[in-house]
Amino acid sequence: MSFKVVNFNVRNKNESSTQIQILKALFSCGREKEDFLTSIKKYIYICSEQYLKTHAQEQWPQPIIFYQPYEVEQILLPDNANCLAVQAYLKMCGLEFQIEPRSNAEYMSPSGRVPFIQCGAFLVAEFDPIVAFISSKGTSLSEQLSQTDKADMRAYMSLVNNVLVNIEQYICWVDQTTLNSATKPRHGSVYPWPLNHVINWQKQNQVTKRLKVLGWYNKTLDEIYKEAENCCTALAERLEGKSFFSGEEPTELDALVYGHVHAITSTHFLPSTRGIINIVRSFPQLLEHARLINNRYFNCNPNLIIEDLDILKCMSDDSIWNSSRSLESLPSLTEDSF
Amino acid sequence: MGTVYAKEFSKPRDFGTPSSDNTSQNRSNYPRDYEHSAYFNKEQEALSRKPTAPETKTINLQEVKARVDKIHVDGLIRTKDDIIKAQVSELFKAQDFQDVLARALKVRERLESLGCFKNIGVYIDTSNGPDATPEGVEVTFTVRELKRIMGGINTMVGNNEGALIIGARAPNIFGRGERLQFEYSYGNKKSTNVNISAVKPFVNGSLHKVLTTSVFSTVSDLPWSGYKQSENGFLLDMAISPGATGTLKHNFQYEANYREVTAGKQVSFRVREQCGPSLKSALRHICSIDKRDGIIFPTVGSLVRITTEVAGLGGNIGFVKNEFLMQNNWTPHEYFTFQLGMQAGMLRGISNDMQISIVDNFFLGGPLNLRGFDMRGCGPRHDGNSIGGDVYWALALHLYTPLPFRPGRNSFGDLFRLHGFINGGNLSNFTFKFDNDFKENLKIFSENVRCAAGGGIAMKLGNVARVELNLIMPLYFIRSDLLQQFQFGIGLEYL
Repeated sequence: MSFKVVNFNVRNKNESSTQIQILKALFSCGREKEDFLTSIKKYIYICSEQYLKTHAQEQWPQPIIFYQPYEVEQILLPDNANCLAVQAYLKMCGLEFQIEPRSNAEYMSPSGRVPFIQCGAFLVAEFDPIVAFISSKGTSLSEQLSQTDKADMRAYMSLVNNVLVNIEQYICWVDQTTLNSATKPRHGSVYPWPLNHVINWQKQNQVTKRLKVLGWYNKTLDEIYKEAENCCTALAERLEGKSFFSGEEPTELDALVYGHVHAITSTHFLPSTRGIINIVRSFPQLLEHARLINNRYFNCNPNLIIEDLDILKCMSDDSIWNSSRSLESLPSLTEDSF
Repeated sequence: MGTVYAKEFSKPRDFGTPSSDNTSQNRSNYPRDYEHSAYFNKEQEALSRKPTAPETKTINLQEVKARVDKIHVDGLIRTKDDIIKAQVSELFKAQDFQDVLARALKVRERLESLGCFKNIGVYIDTSNGPDATPEGVEVTFTVRELKRIMGGINTMVGNNEGALIIGARAPNIFGRGERLQFEYSYGNKKSTNVNISAVKPFVNGSLHKVLTTSVFSTVSDLPWSGYKQSENGFLLDMAISPGATGTLKHNFQYEANYREVTAGKQVSFRVREQCGPSLKSALRHICSIDKRDGIIFPTVGSLVRITTEVAGLGGNIGFVKNEFLMQNNWTPHEYFTFQLGMQAGMLRGISNDMQISIVDNFFLGGPLNLRGFDMRGCGPRHDGNSIGGDVYWALALHLYTPLPFRPGRNSFGDLFRLHGFINGGNLSNFTFKFDNDFKENLKIFSENVRCAAGGGIAMKLGNVARVELNLIMPLYFIRSDLLQQFQFGIGLEYL
C-alpha cells in the first residue's frame, strides 16, 4: 500500500491536498515515534480511493494497438481463442483498442505468441501478462474479489490454459485430418511455396514437442474428448446459476472462457473435430455465458451462436471445412463491433 | 606443332640442378644472360618489369627465333590429360623467344588457376633428340598435385569481426579441377557460418568458366539495427572471364535464400515489424573490371564493379537493386599514392505484393566504410536502431604514404601505410511522390551530406584483409548519427 502512495505522489504533483496530508503524517510519525504505517493508514484509504477515481476516468495516454494474425485466412483455433479472450478482456475494462492484423504477428510478438498489444513504448504479449499490465495501469476487474475467490479464479484459469489450450493444439496439429485439410493450408497461407511447408514443419515440430512433454501427444481423440468434457463440466458447475463466474460482474476468467468457447463453437471443423464442438455445445451454461458476453461487449447478433448451430446442422457430415464459411461467422463478430 | 607429354613423376630428370649446369651448354642461339631464365620462377618478376634490360649488351629477344617442340608436364598423377592440353597448347604458337617466355608465364598462371597444383615450376631448355628442330625449345612444367583432402583451422577477419574457420576441401576430385569445399566459421560476435560448395571449372574453350554451387547457413547479430538474422540458402554462380587471368569478369548468380529476422528485447517497432521469415529468390549479375596492381594497397589501375540484382522470381521478396563501385589509383611520386573510391546503390520495389526486408536495405557507416561514423551509424534511424535506406552514395579520397624513414623496407614495413583521407556520403529513402521530378531525389547530394576527415595507419593482412586504425574528425553530420573519433576496423572490403 505504501508503494501506491509514493506512486501517487509522483503521478499527481498538481493535486497537493492529499500529498500534504501524507507529508503531515510522515512528519508526525517522525515526531511521535509512531509506526509509520499506522500513522498514515487513515490517509491511505483516501489516497487509493482518489487514485482509482482519477485513473479510471483518465484517458489512457497512448492508444492500445492490438496485433494478431489475419483472422480470415491465417489464424488457427488456439490463437483465435487467445485473441478473442484478450479482446473481450479489453472490452470489459472499457479500453479502446485498434486491431492491426499482421501476417507475421507471431514473430513480432516479444514472447513468440499472439496476441500482443502495443501501448506507447510497451509491448505485452499473451493473456496473463496483458491482464497484469492493465492492472498495473490501475484498471482491474478482479480487484474487489476476496483472496479465496482470486485463488479460485486463478485455478480455473490455469485449468482452461492447461486443458482447453492443449486440446485446441492437439486438434490443430496432431489430428491428421484437421492438420492436412485446415491447419496447414491456413498457417502457411501467408507464405510463398516452398516456405509455407518449411514454416508448417517448424511449427508442427514445436507444437508436437510441447505436447509430448506435457503427455498429450499420445492421447487418442476419445481421451481428448473426455478431457474436454471434464473441463467443461467443471466450468459449468462453477457457473451454475450465475451470469458470470464470480457473480454479476465479469473477471478475466470470463474473458478467457468466452474466448475459448466462442472460438471453438464458431469455427467449422472436420467431422473428426465435430466431437469437441458438440461437447462444448452440450453445456448450455457455457453457451449462455458466451452469448451474454457477446451481447454485452461485442454488440452483435444475440442469436449468433444458435445460428451457428443451425449452420452446423445443415452441413453434411463429410463436408470439408470450408474456410469461406468460417470467415462469415468470425469477422462478423469483430468487424461490426468496432 | 609438337606433342605434349604428360610425364610420370618418376621420370628420371633432375630439375633441381643449379643453372650453372645449363649455362655450360651455352648454345649460340641464346644470350648468356637468359640461360638463367631457364629457372623461370625466380626471374619472372624481373622479366615482367623490365622485359628487355640486359645491362651490357642489348639483345632484342623478339629477334631470337624459337619454336616450341615439346612441352612436358611433370608430376601429374590423377589430373586428366585433356584439361592440361587445353591449358598449354597455346604455347606452341610462340614465334620467338620472348613470346615463349610470355606464353609460358601465361600458361603457368592458367595452370595455377585450375586449383589443382601447388609449386608450379617452368623450365625452358633447348630441344634435343632426333625430332629436334634447329630453333626448337622444350618447355617443362613441374607441378605437384594437391592432396586428395586438405583441411585447416585458421582465423579470418571480415565485416569487422574476427572469426575462427574450420575448413576442409577435396581438390581435383575427378581429375578435371572439380573441388568440394566445406567451411564452418564461428565469429567473436556469436555469428556462425556454414558453407558447402562444389566447384567445377570449364577450361576447354576460349572463355574461362567456373560453375559454383553452394549451400550456406549463416547466423549473424546486428546490434546496430537491433536484430538477429539467420539465412539458409542456395547459390548457383557462373563466373565467366575471357582467359583465366583476365581483368574482366562476369558473374551470373541465382540465389534462393530463406531468411529469418528475430528482434531483440528493446527494439524499435520499425525493426520489430520486419520480424519473421521471408524467402528471397534472386538473379544477380556482377560485372567487374579490375586493372589494379594489388587488392589492398594498389598503386596504379582502377576497379569498376557493377552489380544488378533482381529478386522476386518466386518468394515474397521483390526488388531491383543496383550497385556501383569504383576505385581509382594514381601515384604521382614514389611516396604518394592517391586513391579515389566511390560507391553508390539504389533499391526499388517491383510490386506491392512483394516486400523488401530490412535485410535488403543499404546501410552506411563503419570503420572501413564511411569512417568517422559507427557501424550503420548514419542514415535513417528509429528509436535508436538503424533501419537503413534504399539509396546511398559514398565517396572517399585517400593519400597513402609509406611509413616515415621506411623501417623494414621491402619486408615487414611494406605491410603498413600511413593514410590521410576525407570521406563523405549520404543514405536516404527514394521517393516516388514526384514522378519524373528527380529534384527531390537529387537532394541526397545536397542535403544532410555526411563528411569526415582523418588519418591513420593501415595494414594489410595476408593480402586479402585490411586493418585500419584511424583518428577522425567528423565535419558534417546530423544529430541522430553515431560518431566515433577513434576507429579500429578490420575487413575485406573498404571504401
